[in-house]
Amino acid sequence: MTFLLQASLFAALAASFQAGEMSLNDVVQKVNPKMVKIYGSGGFKGLPAYGTGVLVSPNGYVLTVANHLMETTDLRVHLYDGTRLPAKLVAMEPELDIALLKIGTDKSKIDDLPFYDIVAAAKAPLANPGTAVLAFSNQFQIASRDEPVSVMKGTIAAYARLFGRIGIFEAPYSGNVYVVDAITNNPGAAGGIITNRMGDIIGIIGKELRNEQTNTWINYAVPVNAELEVKLADGSTKKISITNLIEKKEAYKPVTKASKSTGGGGYLGIVYVPNVVDRTPPYIEYVEPGSPAQKAGLLPDDLIVYVDGLPVVSVNSLLELMQKYRPQERIQLEIRRGDKLQTISIQVEAPPKAVPSKGPETKGN
Amino acid sequence: MGTTLFLLGVLEIMLGQNTLEELQEKAIQGAVQRVSPTLVQIETTGGTEVISAGGGAGATGKRRPGPAAGPGVRKGSGPTTGVIVSADGYVISSAFNFANKPTSIIVSTMDNKRYIAKVVATDQSRMVTLLKIDTTNLPIPEALPASKMEVGQTVIALGRTLGGSPGSPPSVSMGIISALGRIWGRAIQTDAKISPVNYGGPLIDLQGNVLGILVPASPQADGETAGFEWYDSGIGFAIPLDHIYGILPKLKLGKDMRKGLLGITMQNKDMYADEVVINSVAPNSAAFKAGLKVADKIIAIDGKKVESHAQLMHQLGPKYEGDMVSLTIVRGKDEIKLEKIELSGSLESPPLGFFGILPMRDDPTKGVQVRYVFPESGAAKAGIKAGDRILKAGIGPDITKVTAVAEVANRDALSTLLSTAIIGSFLAVEVKREDGTTVTLKGPIGQATSFLPEKPPEKSSLAKLDKEPEKKPEIGTIKKQNAAGDRNYWVSVPISYDPRTSYGLMVWLHPAGKGKDKDLDDLFSIWDQYCAEYKIIMVAPRSDAELGWTPGESDLIIESIRHATENYNIDRKRVVVHGMGTGGQMAFYLAFQQREMIRGVAAVGASLGATPKERVANQPLSFFLAVGDKDPIRETVLDTAKKLLGFQYPLILREMKDMGHQYFNSITLDTMATWIDLLDRI
Repeated sequence: MTFLLQASLFAALAASFQAGEMSLNDVVQKVNPKMVKIYGSGGFKGLPAYGTGVLVSPNGYVLTVANHLMETTDLRVHLYDGTRLPAKLVAMEPELDIALLKIGTDKSKIDDLPFYDIVAAAKAPLANPGTAVLAFSNQFQIASRDEPVSVMKGTIAAYARLFGRIGIFEAPYSGNVYVVDAITNNPGAAGGIITNRMGDIIGIIGKELRNEQTNTWINYAVPVNAELEVKLADGSTKKISITNLIEKKEAYKPVTKASKSTGGGGYLGIVYVPNVVDRTPPYIEYVEPGSPAQKAGLLPDDLIVYVDGLPVVSVNSLLELMQKYRPQERIQLEIRRGDKLQTISIQVEAPPKAVPSKGPETKGN
Repeated sequence: MGTTLFLLGVLEIMLGQNTLEELQEKAIQGAVQRVSPTLVQIETTGGTEVISAGGGAGATGKRRPGPAAGPGVRKGSGPTTGVIVSADGYVISSAFNFANKPTSIIVSTMDNKRYIAKVVATDQSRMVTLLKIDTTNLPIPEALPASKMEVGQTVIALGRTLGGSPGSPPSVSMGIISALGRIWGRAIQTDAKISPVNYGGPLIDLQGNVLGILVPASPQADGETAGFEWYDSGIGFAIPLDHIYGILPKLKLGKDMRKGLLGITMQNKDMYADEVVINSVAPNSAAFKAGLKVADKIIAIDGKKVESHAQLMHQLGPKYEGDMVSLTIVRGKDEIKLEKIELSGSLESPPLGFFGILPMRDDPTKGVQVRYVFPESGAAKAGIKAGDRILKAGIGPDITKVTAVAEVANRDALSTLLSTAIIGSFLAVEVKREDGTTVTLKGPIGQATSFLPEKPPEKSSLAKLDKEPEKKPEIGTIKKQNAAGDRNYWVSVPISYDPRTSYGLMVWLHPAGKGKDKDLDDLFSIWDQYCAEYKIIMVAPRSDAELGWTPGESDLIIESIRHATENYNIDRKRVVVHGMGTGGQMAFYLAFQQREMIRGVAAVGASLGATPKERVANQPLSFFLAVGDKDPIRETVLDTAKKLLGFQYPLILREMKDMGHQYFNSITLDTMATWIDLLDRI
C-alpha cells in the first residue's frame, strides 16, 4: 500500500515537469543555439583568448562584454554547431562594460540565426532574490568549438550595487547587478548569460572581479535592462543602456565620462588622528577655528562613521569620499561621540589657500 | 503513510497551476521574509586590514597543521551580518566579522535604525560572537531543533552584506544539509555558498526556521579565519542556533567561552591509529589533576568506547572549559575509572631552561668557553665567570646531589642538555678557569623568558684569523634571482666578512609597497654599521603582492635563506626574520611554519591575531616586538606580547616613545642588534 502510494507520488512529480511548460533539458536545448564562443586576442598575463557571446539579432549581432579579446583584427566566432565566422567590433560602451559584434562577411548573407530580443527582454520585471537561474558560458573553454557551452544552475542571491575590483583598479561598471550563488564568473565566461528557469535572458555574465566589500571573488551578471546615468565632461548627464546600444548598433557613440576629481573636494577643517595604518579610524584630532567643522559643532575625539549614509571604515576612505563634494554642498555626517550616535549637518567650503599642516603624517580636509 | 497521503494531496493541489520549481521559489521568498526582520547589518570602523591566521589546539590540546593558514586574511571593507537572539538587544554573529579588532561597531536593524554595539563575549570553540545594542522589543527567530535536521534537507543561507541598506532583501544562497555534527560535533555542513557575504547570517529551512549561524570553520584548524579558504566552495558551516540559545545565559555574563581541553598528547601521531596511549600530560591541566600518566591507555570517555584519538576528539569537541567528563583508562593491568574530570580552557607549556651564559663562537676546542654571564642568572649564582671553559655538566633536582657527569663537546651539546631541563632543577658544571685550575660549580636552572638584554663583550668568536682566507665569497650588496628566474632578493654582506667567523642572518620582510630598490637600500644603510659590528648578514626578498606578503611567497623567502646558509658561514642559532606591518605578520607566520630554520622574530608594528603555536624543544624561538606608543595598533601588539608570553616564549617588548607606525628609533635598533647577539645564550 505504502509502496503504491509512493510510486504514484513519483509519478506525480514526474508529471509536474511535463505539466510545466518545459523540462530543464528543453530549456537548455532552446537557449544553446543562441550562444556563441568568441576567440580573439589574449593568452598572455593570464588573460584567456576566448570568451562568450549571445546572438541578439537574426543577422548576426552578438552581445558580449567589452574586453581584451577585441584587440585583434582576427576576431572569430563559433556558433553552437561549430560553424566558424569572422567577427568585427561594431560598438562598445565601457561604462556598461558591454560590446556589440557583427559576425559574417558581406558576401555570405546571414538572416536566420536564433536570437534573443534584448529590447523585449529588458521590459520584464527584475528577478527577485531566490529566483532559480541557469547560466550559460564558454567557461575555461571546456566546450570544444563544435559543442554547446556549459550550463550551471543557481539562484539569484541578491540584486545589489557592484563594488568590484580588478587587481587594484575599480571595475568599470558600478551599477546594480544580479549576484548569483553559483560559481559563474570564470575565465572565458564573461559575455555568457543567465536566464530564468524558462530560458528567458535576464543578465550578461561579467568579468572576473573581486568584491571590494568582502574581498572575495564575486559571481554576478549585468541585468539586460541595465541603465546608468552618467555625468559627462561638460557637466550634463546622459542615460545609457544596453538596449540603446543594441538599437543604435553602428551608430552608437560611447559616452565620455567626467573625470572623478571634478568635485574638487569639500573642506571641513578637520585634522584627523595620524593616518599611519591601512584602517586608521577617522577620529577627529583637531578642529580648525572658524572652519565648517567648528561651526557645525564637531569636537576632537568625535569618530566619523557615516557620510551621507555611506559607512566610513578609515581616514583613507573618508578622504576619498570627500573628494566628490564641491564647496557649498551640504552633507550629513553621522558621528560617534562617546556612546552616542549623532547626526550633524555641515556645509563644506572651498579649502583656504594654505592649510596648516601638523607634520608629514597628518592629513586633513 | 499518513504523511505520504498528505503530501500527495498537497502535490495535486499545487500542480494544478504551478511547477515545483516555481513553488520552491515562492517557498524561498516566504521563508526569507519570515526570518528577515531578525537579521541585522553590522558595520565596523578601524581595525587591522589583515587578520592574522594561525593553527590552534585540537580538543585534546594537540596541535595540528591547518589548511593553508596563511600570514593573514584581508578583510573586506563592507558590512557583515548578524542575527538577533534576544529581544533586549543581543545579536549573535560570526567571530570572523570582528577578527580585525575594529574600533567601533554599529548594528543596523531592518527598519534602518542604527545602534552602537559592544562585544559581550565570544564562544572561542564555535567562533560566534555576542553583541549588545541598547534597545528592546526586537524580533527573534525560531531555532530548528537538532532532531528535526536531516541530511539532504533544503536550506537557504542569508546575508545582509550586499544591497546596501539594512532594509533591502537579504542575499540568498540555496543548498542542502551536507552533513550534521561536523567539526568535531559542533557544526552543520551545507553546500550553499558561504562566504563573508553571509558569515554571521542564518542558515534557514523552507519554513523560515533557523538551523544555525554561518561561520568559516575547519576540522584541522582553530581561530576566526580557519576555513575561510573554503568560501563559496560548497563547503560551508553553521553553528546550530538551538545550541547558541542554550549557551546564551553564559555568554551574556561577558566571559569568553573556551574549548574544553584534557591536556594530553598521544603516542601515536596517526589520529586514526587503534590505540589511545598518552604521550605527555600538560602541567596543571585537567588530565594532570585527574592523575593521568604517560603510557595510560584511554578506552572510554563518558561511557563511550574510544579506540582512536579521532574518536576521543569527536566526544571532546563539543565540550567547553569547565565541563565534566569521565574517563576509563588502562594502566598496566588495571582498568581505572576516573570520574568528574573538569576540562581546562588553556594549557601551560613547560618553559625553556636557561642557565645564563653566552658561549664563545667558532670554538675549535672541546667544551664551551664562556663569553658572558648574565647577571642574577643561575650561572652567576654558581660563580661562573667569563673566560671559564665548561668541560662537563649534569642536571639533578637536588643541589647537594647533582654532579657534572657528562662531557660537554661543544655549545650545541650544552644547549640540548638545557632544553629539556625542568625549571628549578640544578646544573653542575666542571670548568677550567683561565688560571688553569678546575672547579665544579652548581647553580639553579631558570626561565629563558627572564633574562636582561644587556650588551655583552664585543669579542664573540674564537676563530683563528692569522692568515688571509683563501677564498672570499661575494661581499657588499648583491641582487640575486630565484631559481625560477621570476623573482629576486637582495643580500647584504659586510665588507669585513670573513668566512671563518660565523654570522647571524637577518631576513628583512618589507611592509606592503616598500619593496623598491630604494626602500631596501635605505634599510641596508640603517643597518650597515650594526651588521659589521654584530656580524650579521641580511637578505631581503621582495614581495610581488601589491597589498603585502602572501603564503605562497614563503618559498622565495626560504630560498633566500638557503642561499645565505649555503654560501656564507651562518650561525643557525641566530637566524631571525624581521618585518614591519604586513612583513611582520609574515615573519610570525614563517617562523611558526619553519621551526627548524628560524630562531627569532623581530616585528615592528605588527601583531599576531591568532593563538601562537606551542614551543618545540630544541627549536627555540625568541621574539622582539617594537611598537610606537602612538601607533593605532599598539593595543594589538601588546596583546600579541601577552599571548606569546603565555606560551612562555622569551620575549622583549619595546614601546617607542612619541612614535606612530614607524620603523625603529636608534635606541630600539641598538637593542635589537644586541637581542640577535644574545640568541645563542644557554
